[in-house]
Amino acid sequence: MNSLTLYVMTASALFGIGVYGLIIAGHLLRKLLALNLMGNAVFILMVTVAGPFEHGPDPVPQALVLTGIVIAVSATALALALMVRLYRETGRATLGDNDGDEEVDDG
Amino acid sequence: MSLAVDLLIAAALIGLAVQVVVGGVLFRAIVLFIVFGLTMALAWARLAAPDLAMAEAAIGAGLTGALMLVAYRRLIEINPDKPARTERRRSVLALPVAILASALVAMIGLAAIGLEPAPGFAGRAVMDELDQTGLGNPITGVLLVFRNLDTLLEIAVLLAAFAAARAVTVPGASPLPLSNRSQSPLVGALLAIIVPMTVLVAAHLLRAGGHAPGGAFQAGAVLAASGVLLALTGKLVPSAETGLLLRLGLLAGLVGFSLVGLIVTGFGLPLLAMPGIWAIYAIETAMMLSIAVALLLLFTGSAGLRRGAD
Repeated sequence: MNSLTLYVMTASALFGIGVYGLIIAGHLLRKLLALNLMGNAVFILMVTVAGPFEHGPDPVPQALVLTGIVIAVSATALALALMVRLYRETGRATLGDNDGDEEVDDG
Repeated sequence: MSLAVDLLIAAALIGLAVQVVVGGVLFRAIVLFIVFGLTMALAWARLAAPDLAMAEAAIGAGLTGALMLVAYRRLIEINPDKPARTERRRSVLALPVAILASALVAMIGLAAIGLEPAPGFAGRAVMDELDQTGLGNPITGVLLVFRNLDTLLEIAVLLAAFAAARAVTVPGASPLPLSNRSQSPLVGALLAIIVPMTVLVAAHLLRAGGHAPGGAFQAGAVLAASGVLLALTGKLVPSAETGLLLRLGLLAGLVGFSLVGLIVTGFGLPLLAMPGIWAIYAIETAMMLSIAVALLLLFTGSAGLRRGAD
């Protein structure tokens, strides 16, 4: 196993952990952390699959990931502002109890 | 030997990610997420991507972590009694879905690293054309010359995120938690050293970006970090009005970039073509200011900032 394969496997593991966290997390802040883990997994994958190049990996995916990091922090900041407002209005930082899963249980 | 280092980094990333997701206390999960970001920076360095390592350390770990912590603090201030421990959801599907998603990513990745790059792929084209731009760093070349529409739109997204966050934040309801704890005389002395140094580092990163790792993103994040420090120690306090300087800073990147991109069409160049290396540095400087101001205001959760009392 070489380093590139190792990082691809790491990215897939991180993505899986992120998906798991996104589903089981109750608190929205933790859902956001899980979402950021998934984003980081995609970033690693993008740079890794571009492969070794003369001076490091292909510069195009690197530039895209650099843009992606800034977009991710912007989106996270907006999501956090939404969460704080939700908490202020409703007193809870979780998604509603009457979403799909619960309705199936009631029926 | 090098594979052993990679194995350690990979194990650390996965272990930290598991703790972030399933660990009991939310505060601890946020702190571990910051550690995760720093470990990511190590991974980027190992993948020979120093630009990403710097951006990850400054933005991914530093500013995202600061944003998470200040949001967490706000939740406590809104309702101090409620414990910050929340129930996990029960879901029988979570594990199978996660394993399938993970397998999908692994399949895509393993298939993709086995592929030979196409002869005329974009990375090769960038390397071939880089000399004509006068830049030495291919990533800055991609960001500011070859795919600069992406970068322009990114600045627009940052501005849109700031405007949207403003729209949902209750006015005046976000005093920074640490603003009255800067009584120690050591704080002032420390700031007198750190803040000028960070400004210097940002200026260096910006200038270096043309030929070495660095650039507007990293420089903007470092500037924003020194602003966060000033806000935490009460030297800058949130205000309800966005001052003229902050407005100019917020808009500098988007307006400057757009203006240069439009004006060059009058000289027969294509839209968003860069007329020279000076234009690239000018736009990067404007972008650095915009990124720094937008990230700092997203952190303070206020419309503007003014000088603190002392």
